[in-house]
Amino acid sequence: MSTARLTGILVRLKLSLLRGGLRRSGGRTAVFVVSLVFASLVTAGLLLGLVLLRGHAQAATVAVLLAGVLAAGWAVLPLFFPGGDETLDPTRLVMLPLRPGPLVAALLGASVVGIGPLVTLCLAVGAVLAVAHGAAAAVAAVAAVPLLLLVCLALARAVAAANIRLLTSRKGRDLALLSGLLIAVGLQFLNFGLQNLGRAGGLTALRPAADVVGWLPPASAVAAVEAAGGGAYGEAAARLLLTGLALAGLLWWWQRSLTRLMTSPDSSTLGAAPTRDRSSSGLHRLLPEGRTGAVVLRTLRYAWRDPKTKGAWVTALAIGLIVPVLNALQGTGSVYFACFGAAMLGMLTYNQFGQDYSGFWMVAQTISTTRDAYQELRARALAILLVTVPYTVLVAAVTAAVMDRWDAVPEVVGVSFALLGAMLATGAVASALFPYSIPQDSAYKNVAPGQGTIAWLSLGGGLLASLVTALPVLALTAWLHVSGSGALWTVLPAGAAYGALTAWAGVRLAATRTADRLPEILAAVAKG
Amino acid sequence: MPEETSDAVGRAVRVPPPAVQVEGLWKRFGGQVAVAGIDLALPAGRFIGLVGPNGAGKTTTLSMITGLLRPDQGRVRVAGHDVWRDPAEVKARIGVLPEGLRMFERLSGRELLAYSGRLRGLPGGEVDQRAAQLLDVLDLAGAQHKLVIDYSTGMRKKIGLAAALLHNPEVLFLDEPFEGVDPVSAQTIRGVLERYTASGATVVFSSHVMELVESLCDWVAVMAAGRIRAQGPLAEVRGARPTLQAAFLELVGARERDTGASLDWLGGGAR
Repeated sequence: MSTARLTGILVRLKLSLLRGGLRRSGGRTAVFVVSLVFASLVTAGLLLGLVLLRGHAQAATVAVLLAGVLAAGWAVLPLFFPGGDETLDPTRLVMLPLRPGPLVAALLGASVVGIGPLVTLCLAVGAVLAVAHGAAAAVAAVAAVPLLLLVCLALARAVAAANIRLLTSRKGRDLALLSGLLIAVGLQFLNFGLQNLGRAGGLTALRPAADVVGWLPPASAVAAVEAAGGGAYGEAAARLLLTGLALAGLLWWWQRSLTRLMTSPDSSTLGAAPTRDRSSSGLHRLLPEGRTGAVVLRTLRYAWRDPKTKGAWVTALAIGLIVPVLNALQGTGSVYFACFGAAMLGMLTYNQFGQDYSGFWMVAQTISTTRDAYQELRARALAILLVTVPYTVLVAAVTAAVMDRWDAVPEVVGVSFALLGAMLATGAVASALFPYSIPQDSAYKNVAPGQGTIAWLSLGGGLLASLVTALPVLALTAWLHVSGSGALWTVLPAGAAYGALTAWAGVRLAATRTADRLPEILAAVAKG
Repeated sequence: MPEETSDAVGRAVRVPPPAVQVEGLWKRFGGQVAVAGIDLALPAGRFIGLVGPNGAGKTTTLSMITGLLRPDQGRVRVAGHDVWRDPAEVKARIGVLPEGLRMFERLSGRELLAYSGRLRGLPGGEVDQRAAQLLDVLDLAGAQHKLVIDYSTGMRKKIGLAAALLHNPEVLFLDEPFEGVDPVSAQTIRGVLERYTASGATVVFSSHVMELVESLCDWVAVMAAGRIRAQGPLAEVRGARPTLQAAFLELVGARERDTGASLDWLGGGAR
């Protein structure tokens, strides 16, 4: 079969799959149309911006970096959104009598169809328009645009083909579940980065980065257009050649992965079972016997192994440190922002049973008295404390070091402990009274349909109640400040004692409710 | 085995208290009645099958008996203790393998057993020793350090069974323990269960595979549309009919329909 005919068939297959997917539900069609409109608007805006940038001193910096970001996006896209494109999965074509060479060419041709490639094409045109001056540049641009587009597409396909066994396995799906977290933390850094950029002299600061990226395909294609416009024909040819070589290399890699995929059986699930005893880690020997130790260990293992729980922990740890420290670095914060760290981790105690999902039945089966429920909740709080207590001290110390306010560390830690205790207390009570399910299969659904109100009630009400509960210690701190007393250090023992007391009382209260409501909690957390 | 269940000359017999006693159990979900006032008396020391078509209310009934779902009405006693008034006595005496609920699957098989044994309050050394034996007997020793989430269906059922047996319960409740299980694993599970009942314990399991129930159980309860249609020793429920399958179809009201002349064109090749 000729490559052209095969390409036609694959394009039609792709369109049929798209149509079939849209026909399945009206909601999906709406989402598709909205994303199409949104993508068009953003693309049009960017295109216009790039055209307007023409002639600006830093136009090349922006265009080259944009091409680099675009390529990076295409490279990681299939890792986070596997299964988004079924024609991406070559194992589906394995039964057809096709040779890898024509197949790769046809797959590449078919992959040009879609919203993503269209947006990329527009941006490529925009980037080239921003830097192309003169006839030579125009000639280079004609080669640069398709090269840029094809390198992006081939990169995505090659990465996907090389990792397809990983992507369709459980580990790959776990990785996809973590993508939301990377985006959240990435946005924080981007936000602070842009703020710093504004102060550091703007785009000029990015020039060195652009110089490096300009030699990396496919951004090198954009840099080639600029070089051609400046009369450096040799350099332009070299950069274009580099991009072309990269495309050839990617296609070769892709073809090799395809051949291997189509001729060797899937052995990803046959991997030898680990012979190492995971539980031989030293931690469990330090923990108390019985329910307390078992639950602490299980909670910590889940924080590490369960992608959703891990995502929540890492987000809390990262944002709890980033916000106070970066604010301190910019001189805009207060040393009290360090309490943010404890508060972020305290939020992990809300909806504790929802994190178990329907596995909660194993817990429910072994709780028959209020005392059992108390031990369970206390152990879960202890697991959080094992991490939070040192972390709170660390955040307070780092923030104080940046602001040179070492004298404030005791009071900040004291207030943090009081807040943490209040959150452990309200978190335990909210978990017992307002449990809701956390669906395990979607990265973006953290509440089962219909339970949104309960979730907001639990979190919002809980946070408000925590603030009220911690009020005595906040009032003490404020009074000591106003009175100018030298006894501010007393906030540390007072906060720790008050926090411990409230946490104990809250867990006691929650234990009674938990023991009484086991079937109701199970029904709520097993939804979705 | 119960000591005096029958008597050769038909005198009054002394029957031990039932393992499970259910009276007037109701459960509605919205407007739909899932379980409509059932009464059950399941004898101790037997291998008991709860059979019924899909949607008959088997899972709902088992969930209410094991304390995982609160009934709207009715009373459940297991080993002489009320499930809802005296949960401590009941939960210590029963083992459960539910259907459709997850376990803590991010633990390895061995870790899962270590965790659930300790939740039950067993001493750590004892838990680890029993876990090792169960893993060995259930042919899971080679996969004991693998995460349960990476287990096959048969392996999952087996590790669930191990967790349910770990504290040596008096009564074991299994919801569809053979569903989706390969023949080799099914045989292993069967062997363990037969050995367990031989020592005087009770197994209650639900299934819709009649051949299996017929070959395993000595006592059955037939359920359909939220009601118990028949219960008693296997031979009694089967009656004069050749198989349990035939008896079951009759009890749930699914008589074999004569297709008559409507499909007389069907028959590959005969034109």
